[in-house]
Amino acid sequence: MAIRELKVCLLGDTGVGKSSIVCRFVQDHFDHNISPTIGASFLTKTVPCGSELHKFLIWDTAGQERFHSLAPMYYRGSAAAVIVYDITKLDSFQTLKKWVKELKEHGPEDIVVAIAGNKNDLGDIREVPMKEAKEFAESIAAIFIETSARNAVNVEELFQKISKQIPPLENPEVDSNESFKLTRQPTPSARRCC
Amino acid sequence: MASSRLPGNPQIGPMDRSGSFFKLIDTFASEIGELKKEMVQTSPAVNKEPMDIQGLESEVCGVYLQSPHCGGVGGERDSGYDSLRRRMSVLDRLTQTHPVWLLLSVSEEEAGRILLKQPPGVFLVRKSVALQRKVLSVRLKEDQSETPISHFPVRESQYTFSLDGSGISFADLFRLVAFYCISRDVLPFTLKLPEAIASAKTQKDLEEVAQLGAGFWDSALCSQRRTSPRPCRPLSRTLSPQRTNRNREDEGSKQSHTGAHCDSAPPTLRSHAPPPSFCLERRHSSGPLCFVNPLFLQTHHHHHCGENSPSHAVKPDDNPEDAEKAPMKLTGNSQESDKHTDKTKVNRKSCSPPPRPPPPRSMPHRRPAPPPPGPPAPSTRPKSMPETVAVATRKQQSSKRPAPARPPMGAKQSSPSKTASSPIPVPSNPPPPRPKKPDLESHRCHIALDDETFAQALSRAKLPPCQPPPSVPADGLLENNAGSVSIPNERGRQRLSDMSMSTSSSDSLEYSQSPGFSLGLAPSPPRHLNHQDTVEDSSEDDEDGEEEEEEDYGVGLETDLEMRLRTSFKARRRKVGVSLSGGSFILPRALKGRFRKVSGMLSSLMTPERRAVKRIAELSRDKSSYFGSLVQDYISFVQENRGCHTSGMDFLQTLRQFMTQMKAYLRQSSEMDPPIESLIPEDQIDQVLEKAMHKCVLKPLKSVIEVALHDFQVNSGAWQRLKENLAMAKTKGPHELGVDGAVPPDPMAIEKIRHKFLNMRKMYSPEKKVSLLLRVCKLIYTIMQDNSGRMYGADDFLPMLTYVVAQCDMPQLDTDIQYMMELLDPSLLQGEGGYYLTSAYGAMSLIKNFQEEQAARVLSSEARNTLHQWHRRRTTQRSVPSVDDFQNYLRVALQEVDTGCTAKTLIVHSYTTTEEVCSVCAYKFKIPDPENYALFLITEDTSQQLAPDTHPQRIKAELHSRPQAHIFHFVYRKVPNLNLCIPAVIHNGNCLQVK
Repeated sequence: MAIRELKVCLLGDTGVGKSSIVCRFVQDHFDHNISPTIGASFLTKTVPCGSELHKFLIWDTAGQERFHSLAPMYYRGSAAAVIVYDITKLDSFQTLKKWVKELKEHGPEDIVVAIAGNKNDLGDIREVPMKEAKEFAESIAAIFIETSARNAVNVEELFQKISKQIPPLENPEVDSNESFKLTRQPTPSARRCC
Repeated sequence: MASSRLPGNPQIGPMDRSGSFFKLIDTFASEIGELKKEMVQTSPAVNKEPMDIQGLESEVCGVYLQSPHCGGVGGERDSGYDSLRRRMSVLDRLTQTHPVWLLLSVSEEEAGRILLKQPPGVFLVRKSVALQRKVLSVRLKEDQSETPISHFPVRESQYTFSLDGSGISFADLFRLVAFYCISRDVLPFTLKLPEAIASAKTQKDLEEVAQLGAGFWDSALCSQRRTSPRPCRPLSRTLSPQRTNRNREDEGSKQSHTGAHCDSAPPTLRSHAPPPSFCLERRHSSGPLCFVNPLFLQTHHHHHCGENSPSHAVKPDDNPEDAEKAPMKLTGNSQESDKHTDKTKVNRKSCSPPPRPPPPRSMPHRRPAPPPPGPPAPSTRPKSMPETVAVATRKQQSSKRPAPARPPMGAKQSSPSKTASSPIPVPSNPPPPRPKKPDLESHRCHIALDDETFAQALSRAKLPPCQPPPSVPADGLLENNAGSVSIPNERGRQRLSDMSMSTSSSDSLEYSQSPGFSLGLAPSPPRHLNHQDTVEDSSEDDEDGEEEEEEDYGVGLETDLEMRLRTSFKARRRKVGVSLSGGSFILPRALKGRFRKVSGMLSSLMTPERRAVKRIAELSRDKSSYFGSLVQDYISFVQENRGCHTSGMDFLQTLRQFMTQMKAYLRQSSEMDPPIESLIPEDQIDQVLEKAMHKCVLKPLKSVIEVALHDFQVNSGAWQRLKENLAMAKTKGPHELGVDGAVPPDPMAIEKIRHKFLNMRKMYSPEKKVSLLLRVCKLIYTIMQDNSGRMYGADDFLPMLTYVVAQCDMPQLDTDIQYMMELLDPSLLQGEGGYYLTSAYGAMSLIKNFQEEQAARVLSSEARNTLHQWHRRRTTQRSVPSVDDFQNYLRVALQEVDTGCTAKTLIVHSYTTTEEVCSVCAYKFKIPDPENYALFLITEDTSQQLAPDTHPQRIKAELHSRPQAHIFHFVYRKVPNLNLCIPAVIHNGNCLQVK
């Protein structure tokens, strides 16, 4: 299977749990085949998707305002951006909207945007209604999901959804096997007979 | 040590303090000594040492075409086996004549046309457009299949070439083909060289053939086929013992009478493999030719044993007798064999493959053969397996062999090893001309394998505690000279087979550590030592500083693989050193010697890459080549005119652009000989070229670049501002820079980091700089985590990095970062290196604008713009996000009048022509009438049809390398009727006007 490297950028206020989500994603089902990275700001994980393997190269960003201006360097060339907010902090949702705007203006054209409302284990102190966030996501054709990095809820799903939205690559390797497929065809029919 | 041996004096304490390895060598040497005596009556060999080494080693490079078995055909023998011929291995022949058979651009039809006229087994290597892979096209026997020609795809994995379905991988295409010339493996039969190549007697013959290139096939040279009965068999002989075996049963005995035969050395050594791995082992003995990447062998090995797949196992199976013999040979060593093996001996010989080149890396020891049974009785024994066997064999041989006065060149039957070695020590018999490079290379590989084999065997034999004779203290093992250790024969056998099993296994690395151990007594050949010491020491002392140094060692220490392994490697190395250091004074040296070999083994894995880089570097210095003159002119231009750039960034960009263009040039030019495609798997070529460019361009220019960048900074006032801001930032505590929670590094740690940054500055390669940057980041993480035990993301890391950079107070770091940002291979920008480089750049930007930030809490608009520009500039190189341009993807849109556009991403290599792309498109888009379609380059306001012989990927690269981003598309669409300017040849340069 061909491995496709996909750069994914994490955006969002500081403290919303960006790196927790990724750590959860990467650490569950730890993949021994990949070389460990030196720290949690940059993590990779490979997941199968259809006939391809998607290797996520996950770029974390610093959420503090003073680092905001560096963001373009991080999201440039990204196939996807995950914008994380904290459902218990309305401010973080406002920041999210700013990021969406910035991505629209300066981000890569075909970037897949995913909105993740983290800390949904703290539903009782929720400040951002799910419905509002969901509608916003729909309005910008973004993926939407509420997650809990702490309880490992929906983390896997978040990245699966991203995977699915990445347009599949036309893969000549697979196609070129067609001649082999032809020769294999008799086998199934033989089985049918049996 | 080697020099202390007196040649010609057979009785000299054979095993005094020599490791088993050396004993082995001694036996070889003794043979040579004997030979020498035969050939030249007088040759005080003492002073010949160096020469011998060279000569002998050069003999070792491959399987040789000629064989005694051909002796059956009298005429043949007379006709041409002179030593020259004998000395050109299949690998040599292939390497030199690649223009004939390595025809990447030839189509399937053309290949069919060429091969149809050829006898079965003749082949060529081409590139299949449909598969986008290299394929080995082989002429089959008429009766064997319906199609006269079969195509076997070549699989190119990360570092190796192999045939689909085979578990055996090769370092390059030449070795692969050479291997299949002697062993069929997954092929229906072995490959056959065209007669003109196979029978070429001299270098010159080969050159003539090579000059014809593809034209060879239609030339008279090719068609004048010899009528000689020599079938493709001779080639296969080597690896198909059973066959030759039978054939030569009688011949063998004849030989033993005449005593002219001594082909057994290498086979004896290696053929101890159990039946299933028989042919594998054989391969070993053929050294370079059959160079098998040990890392890959393991799998194959298992595969072998497990499945006993017919293709591999046929030979042994076919001839069970023979198969059994193999182990027998092994076991029948030592005295036992002495007694009962005269007959065995004969068998052995008869079953052994054709004469072999002399033993691998035989050393010029004069050591007399085998163990005079006298005093050193124990010494004979102690050795571990391999050499015991060898010794035994040798002994038999020598004792048996009447030592015929043999005419140096004349005797066809004479064993090659003898003949081969004889000329060398004897000045009057100058070694025949041989291709130098191939020799060296293959020789290198050969050594690697040998060392590995020996090392493993030895370590195996000695490591188990039970092994050493009780009387010998552990230390004794290391130092023991004249064998105080004695290993029971039984033991020996067992070991031997162990060894054969473990040979080349993927865990060889583990074992290869231990050789130092078991071989403590054997100082490595002196010539290795100096070099080795240096490298070793430097690497121990300062890991950071050493890499650059290493680049310049020609011998093979610096391979990538080794780099990769180095850490663990070194760790082990140290461990061994420590544990043994008490052992003896001599140990360190010995260890180094052994490790040197181990690293030799490693390097052999990577040899092709190193070789390619080295070759390109050489080419770049050769002003008579176009590439060399471009590079040299550019270098001197830059040295003289560095002031002509407007900024440091501008300067770096032109450098980057130059390197990119040179890479593109190298890929398409024919100046690389052999073509890089034959040495390096296609998906690795770009990396190799990148590395080569760093060496050719950046290395000589590094100091110039540094000075220039600094000057720009100073002149623009940026330097001053940077220093001020740095100084101010340095006074700030971690909290003021945004650190929240994590504990910052203490001054000592900062000092350490500073040191690492200083080392980083010494590197010319952007990649190596980045890898050092990663070490710094890792250290920072470690400090943060040690103090809190939690995982830190960018929220914590980036502020901390900023703090660290401020504390280091190194304004020069700024240009270093700039250097990496602009020159790093774009394909690495997305990975971890790219991430932390980006972070370092970000941290530096924040510091540079510290005052402004203090004032406005935001970056100045100027800084933002800079970042934004950089982002645009560097990302224009990747038009399709996340699809790496350098991985050879091309997005092509199909434009149809009625259905609009559909786009597909195709794998298109830079050497793929528009014509090929069109045929792929026709196939992909299922175009019924491809003749009416063509590939167009569409830009904002132009549309141009690409000529069939242009290279879309290069056009794209050219567009990308322009300073300004352009929007363009490759579109596959119908050619408008009556298009008068149909073949609009597009020049990379002028297809687009820079606005």
